[in-house]
Amino acid sequence: MTTTDNTLLAVHDLRTYFHTFSGTVKAVNGVSFAIGKGEVMGLVGESGGGKSVVGFSILGLIDSPGRIMGGKILLDGEDLAQAGEDRLRQIRGREISMVFQDPMTSLNPLHTVGQQMDEVLRLHTDLDAAARRTACIEMLESVGISRAADRLGAYPHQFSGGMRQRVVIAIAMLARPRLIIADEPTTALDVTIQSQILKLMRRQIADKGASMILITHDLAVVSEMADHITVLYCGKVVERGRTRDLIETPSHPYTRGLIDSIPDPANRHARLKQIPGTVPDIRNLPQGCNFRDRCPRAQALCAEQEPELRPQNGAQWAACHYPLQPGDSA
Amino acid sequence: MTDPTPMLEVRDLEMHFPIGGGVLDRLKLDSKGLRIDRPVVHAVNGVSFRINRGQIMALVGESGCGKSTVAKTIARIYQPTAGEIRIEGEDIASYGFADMLPVRSKMQMIFQDPYASLNPRQRVRDIVAEPLLQQMKTAADRKEVPARTQALLAKVGLNAEHAGRYPHQFSGGQRQRIGIARALSVMPGLIIADEPVSALDVSIQAQILNLMMDLRDEFGLSYLFISHDLSVVHHIADTVGVMYLGFMVETAPRDTLFARPRHPYTRALLSAAPSIKARRDTEEITLMGEVPSALSLPSGCCFRTRCPFAWDRCAQERPVLKDVGDNQSVACHLIDEPERDRS
Repeated sequence: MTTTDNTLLAVHDLRTYFHTFSGTVKAVNGVSFAIGKGEVMGLVGESGGGKSVVGFSILGLIDSPGRIMGGKILLDGEDLAQAGEDRLRQIRGREISMVFQDPMTSLNPLHTVGQQMDEVLRLHTDLDAAARRTACIEMLESVGISRAADRLGAYPHQFSGGMRQRVVIAIAMLARPRLIIADEPTTALDVTIQSQILKLMRRQIADKGASMILITHDLAVVSEMADHITVLYCGKVVERGRTRDLIETPSHPYTRGLIDSIPDPANRHARLKQIPGTVPDIRNLPQGCNFRDRCPRAQALCAEQEPELRPQNGAQWAACHYPLQPGDSA
Repeated sequence: MTDPTPMLEVRDLEMHFPIGGGVLDRLKLDSKGLRIDRPVVHAVNGVSFRINRGQIMALVGESGCGKSTVAKTIARIYQPTAGEIRIEGEDIASYGFADMLPVRSKMQMIFQDPYASLNPRQRVRDIVAEPLLQQMKTAADRKEVPARTQALLAKVGLNAEHAGRYPHQFSGGQRQRIGIARALSVMPGLIIADEPVSALDVSIQAQILNLMMDLRDEFGLSYLFISHDLSVVHHIADTVGVMYLGFMVETAPRDTLFARPRHPYTRALLSAAPSIKARRDTEEITLMGEVPSALSLPSGCCFRTRCPFAWDRCAQERPVLKDVGDNQSVACHLIDEPERDRS
């Protein structure tokens, strides 16, 4: 993994395991990636792929029985995996903030929007009360909430779902963090509201020069937002590359399968290409490649040896013994 | 559209829900004095459409547009406020529980959440057999049930050893297969599918959509397919109805609707949908604001509060669905005054 001056966050060989009575769940099992300043990285995969756990691990939000068992999370060279709780508290909300999937549950229903916004500034800046209030009003206006001064006194239930997600984004942006981790930020929203929120997030990131990790299962959303994409399967990176390259010429059969599963208006009425079977039980993964039971290209080697992430064409990397070449049919 | 008796015909369907609450909460003092307010949610406001045998009709729209209420009203989970629901010509809108029993062999439903729609205490074979046992009254018929259950499970891609298991032993996609087997058990002509794939991962979604298409081809099923996902609708539907705030604002054959959407809301919906394609050629209408409350509908056109083209006529007069050719119908005043379409 190359780390340049432009790198904001570099994750090396991250391992987050959950020790349960029915076995160890290796939810994140050796994940590495890097994000440059001002970049948007999409973290894609199906449920159980470990993408949310990566997000929580970066912020040190893994609760027992989960534990970060190994790896480095370097934010500008500082290893967050080794940082104590006090240091993490300084970082959360200030350096790195998070936007969660469900705007109904990520705001505190007992506090006004103004109180919840003010808290961020009180903890992370030296501003006095009047200056904090002005900053909150400006932030609410910049996420498209009208009559912002009046709305500071409102409670979350007085907002609609889309408006609440705007508030969550406003809170996440308030302390001008350098990295925003957005975990399925539009999955709970309708499509017209989703397009408003995605536009808003794109503008906020560009204006403030922040970076973003966009965690989603929706390849269409990620292809419109991200500069590059990392695909997770069973806690491991199976492919990463620049967005257009990865979507147009995927190297890993799993990535290809995900893309082909999306109904294509240009090729309708044909049967959808489907990935056979289901995601294996993560406590009981197959020998060799995790994807081999579902893979149309699997051969004997795939059962014996686990493939490593290797460069394919140019900036694209895939973990596959028999990667697809551009022009191959699946 | 010449089929004399379509599988399903819905005319002017209305579904209003009164809101409960204590009398004191609903007391209102206005110029006419003290009165008790009776607030009503206008979930469905006069929806009409028909589905011929073997056809798939999709209803699309955002949350709160009434598409699921239409589905549940047709399945007679709700008692409609007004309108007709004809299954093979028979109006079931006012049927009681006992009257509905024979109708249920013609119409079954698949639900969105495969975790909540299966009884966790029933084995799979009992879940699938339940509708059959309701329909079969003689002991001779009932003898066939185990064999038919096995055949149904095989049809949806589950094997015999699955029959004795409980729902929690299955993944989401497999559970949805069980739901489909249960719906198929009585050989209905119409299946109402309310967001059948939206709780599933995309690779599993493709499996279920393929299965639904195969079953349609094999048994000549009609589907009423409720979805908010336009790419799924584009894949599966023959005709599409777009709903907004309980009104049908546009209906058209699938290809017409996606190639030439006429209603400003349809156009906005299509252009808002994200795509993995690099470029898009659809015009971009960005909607401001959000859907108004179904408690107090706007006067005139339901969409005017968010429509970029709205003018004074839209506030005064409610547009009705008008045929614009090619089986496309649109409820918008722009059809009469196309010069106002400035995009």
